[in-house]
Amino acid sequence: MSLAEGKIEFDETDFADTRAAMQKWEHFPASTISHHGGQCCQIAREWVLSTDYSQLNAGNPLTGPRWIRQKYTWGASTWPIYWCEAVEQKKLDCGALAALTQEVFAARGVRSYHAQFIQQYSEAATRQWSNSWNCDEACVHWIKEDLIYHEGCAVAVRDNEIRLWDPSAGWWVNPRQFGGYGGLLAVRVFAPQFNAPTGFLWGTQRISPNQWQKIERVRGDFAVAAAK
Amino acid sequence: MKIYISGLYSGTNPQPGIGIARSLRAAYPDATLVGVEYSNRCSGIHWADLDEMWLQRPWEELNLEVYAADIKEALDAGALWISGVDLEIMWLASVFPEGHKNLLTPSTAALKKISKPAVEAHKGLPVSIPPFVTTERSDWELHAFCRQHGWKVWLKGPYYEAVRTHGWDVFDRVRTLLSRAWSTERLFLQTHVTGYEESVCFSAYQGELIDSVYMRKRELTEEGKTWAGDVTEVPEEFTTPLRRIIKELNWTGGAELEMVRDMGGQLWLLECNPRFPAWIYGSTLAGHNLPALLVERATGVPARREVNVCEEFTRVVLEIPVRSQFPLPSLPEPYPGGIGHSMKHPSGTLALAERLHKLHVMESDGNGNGNGNGNGNGHHGRTNIAEAPVVPSSFIDDLKAYNFAEMETPSWLFLESTASELFKRAAGLASKLSTSTLTVTNAYSLKTNPDERLLRIARESGFLAEAISLLEVQKALQTGFRPDQVILNGPGKWWPEGLLPTSPIHAVFCDSIADLKRVVASMERKELQAKIVGVRLRTPTVGSRFGIPVDTPEALKKLVDAIELLPRECAFGVHFHMASSNIGVGQWWHLYESVLRWCRSIETLARRQIECLDVGGGWFPDDWQSDSGDQFAAAIARARNFLPFVKQIISEPGKAMAQPSMAVAMRLLEFEESSEEEVTEAVVDGSIAELPMHFFQPHRILRQDKQTGEWQTLKHGKTHLWGRLCMEHDVVASNVELPEGVRPGDVLVFCDAGAYDRSMSYVFGRG
Ligand SMILES: [Zn+2]
Repeated sequence: MSLAEGKIEFDETDFADTRAAMQKWEHFPASTISHHGGQCCQIAREWVLSTDYSQLNAGNPLTGPRWIRQKYTWGASTWPIYWCEAVEQKKLDCGALAALTQEVFAARGVRSYHAQFIQQYSEAATRQWSNSWNCDEACVHWIKEDLIYHEGCAVAVRDNEIRLWDPSAGWWVNPRQFGGYGGLLAVRVFAPQFNAPTGFLWGTQRISPNQWQKIERVRGDFAVAAAK
Repeated sequence: MKIYISGLYSGTNPQPGIGIARSLRAAYPDATLVGVEYSNRCSGIHWADLDEMWLQRPWEELNLEVYAADIKEALDAGALWISGVDLEIMWLASVFPEGHKNLLTPSTAALKKISKPAVEAHKGLPVSIPPFVTTERSDWELHAFCRQHGWKVWLKGPYYEAVRTHGWDVFDRVRTLLSRAWSTERLFLQTHVTGYEESVCFSAYQGELIDSVYMRKRELTEEGKTWAGDVTEVPEEFTTPLRRIIKELNWTGGAELEMVRDMGGQLWLLECNPRFPAWIYGSTLAGHNLPALLVERATGVPARREVNVCEEFTRVVLEIPVRSQFPLPSLPEPYPGGIGHSMKHPSGTLALAERLHKLHVMESDGNGNGNGNGNGNGHHGRTNIAEAPVVPSSFIDDLKAYNFAEMETPSWLFLESTASELFKRAAGLASKLSTSTLTVTNAYSLKTNPDERLLRIARESGFLAEAISLLEVQKALQTGFRPDQVILNGPGKWWPEGLLPTSPIHAVFCDSIADLKRVVASMERKELQAKIVGVRLRTPTVGSRFGIPVDTPEALKKLVDAIELLPRECAFGVHFHMASSNIGVGQWWHLYESVLRWCRSIETLARRQIECLDVGGGWFPDDWQSDSGDQFAAAIARARNFLPFVKQIISEPGKAMAQPSMAVAMRLLEFEESSEEEVTEAVVDGSIAELPMHFFQPHRILRQDKQTGEWQTLKHGKTHLWGRLCMEHDVVASNVELPEGVRPGDVLVFCDAGAYDRSMSYVFGRG
């Protein structure tokens, strides 16, 4: 029995204003960790990379480094952030977590690219985050109504095929997206390197690098063809 | 249309009956669905989609012949049967060897091809089978399998049940329990695969694939069972071979291939179940009503299609009313002083397994070990293929030096040529691996076994002496080592005071920052002189109390700062030690690589060249010997790569040298013989005081045949050898077979006792 994927891209029925969000975060750079150039940052960096190898525990180098999120809870960071400061924090924001993860993948010899996400949550969730960020006297430019800006890593598994790692959540983002709470609406993968692929494959979707791209949504009806 | 559905257990590890009933009800609103169960304790019997309930007596008391006739009558009358119980499916296959058009389950031949763990029929699918070994192999081999796979192994029953056995004592205990429960010795050990659990579920009729789905578990229960999942289409590279396999097996019914996808994307097949899975209604929600499509194909009656579908499903817990004709049974009384109600699986699955063994249903083959060349008869109780472990011929040669008739027991036996050969080989390997710029040196850890004969051979073989106390240093010096051949290590190395050699020792490794400061002070006072001063590292994720930790950036900074205090006139070195026999061989090599990275970090940060790397092993002899030297050569090359200034690599093969070098002779004191049964209990004059490592590793046991004089190792069997001590846990061997003709007074030689068995043996119960 043949099955066909019934992928339907919501455009107008989609109430989240993804386009406006992409505009808002058009000029957001991907986060990186700064280096003082001295031993303070050198020790911190060596520690992160050697710890990562120990934590890999003979596992596959493509394993997401969940230990980073286990050590640092998610919360506001002040920017710019230096290696020696980052490792001493109790809390790191998604940008700092993604930047550390990026370094770790690179040290393992795994090709990884900075990735930015636009995700939908709810007004209740974003109001909570605004509050806690304000308490830490941090800027909440990453929230727009029920949408948020988020950072992660696009990890190349073979050729131009990627997986998207969310270092704040400690999981791979599901390439089958339905929208809704926690849903990924748009992604931007930074691949400025001259030899980087001109297009990536994430699940069944093509992702063009260096630009915001709306995520195609899947409706749970791959069986429609089968039922006919 | 009447459809019988069995397997209605609906606890946290549910059977699929309810999911099948819900799926069929959705497709055939007017069908009569008859639930089949073997216990009124199974909550699924109260599910409202079931129109009738055919409740049978539990399997342990069910008259199978009568029941088979009843089922035949129902099938002949046109009813269909979809089973949700693996063992029932096996039994039905034996009841209907030619099949029955209304029995929607596979044949015995097909079931054999999917039996665990080899799942012979998997060939062609894009999956691998995780390495496994049958427990009919000798304990010696099973222990090797566990070490090889880092003790990340599961001991699995023939049909259900898997228990993680992370150590030898746990394995031994669980093996006894599972063998008893499943009435068979044919269990198997299989490696754990880390990854995501995924399934392919299909429906087939008379060798033709009707439909299939792919399911990824998205939430799991504590037992690892599905709680939520997503259902998508099966990729073509899977369905093409699957279609062929289904044809070859002439499969009828549902099935589920349970797999794990590792981080690299490789799929590992754990098992193939001959029935729909308990989450089958999740597939129906996704628009693939596999049970209904099966019924449709078997009857030609069109199934109603779902219109609203969703590819993600989850579970909830529901309270439902109890059927009036099946009121709840009483709860069994807790045993006096017991915890909980000690309830067995209500329908008596274990009892059915035992009955099927007796009926010789499902005598499988081809499931011997990882490469599938095992054999056996699968009968109830003992099988005769359990293999005796092999010992090196040098053991037997060395035993010729002893007169066992007059020997007082228990007695330690030094196996001289065995010991010499091992040290000689290690020395040869070290010299082979050395170059003009890098020396590889062996060191013998005195604590492994301070027997002077071993120390002499070690010294003559060019080993250094590694000591963890000043008493050990003294012992080394007394047996002929020079101070510059001594390495001092460990947290208590300055004990007892006043025994420190006055001339320079080879190396000292600091176990803590405080220890390092003490070393620096002693050296400044000229009390201590050493060619190499270094640190022992405790890398993160290693569960150890030894060495200097680097688990935080602050700890690393402290270490780096402290290293700067070390006198510049000494060479700097790093030591690490972890028993490969505990963490597993693969894990040990990863740790080695990890240590090299930490060393490189330390070298950069402390601006101090690392000239000596001291590598502690704790190698199990077989693991150490199985290496031809290539892996060690590669390891040396890696070290040079990371640490370009390294001039000496010290290797401590530890128990790889000592363990085979001694054995313990014991005498059988008494046992009760019976002409019918194998002896289950025998007492020996040795004890765990002589074999304290019994809980961590098996020992090969030799016994000399009185007629031929030939030494033979004991096989796996039913006898427990109890030590002479009045201690409950004094068992020196469990599950061995006493050879025919064995008598009280006979000597048993426990091999592999030359390392910590010897050095940690204690005096107990001797007055
Ligand atoms: Zn810094």
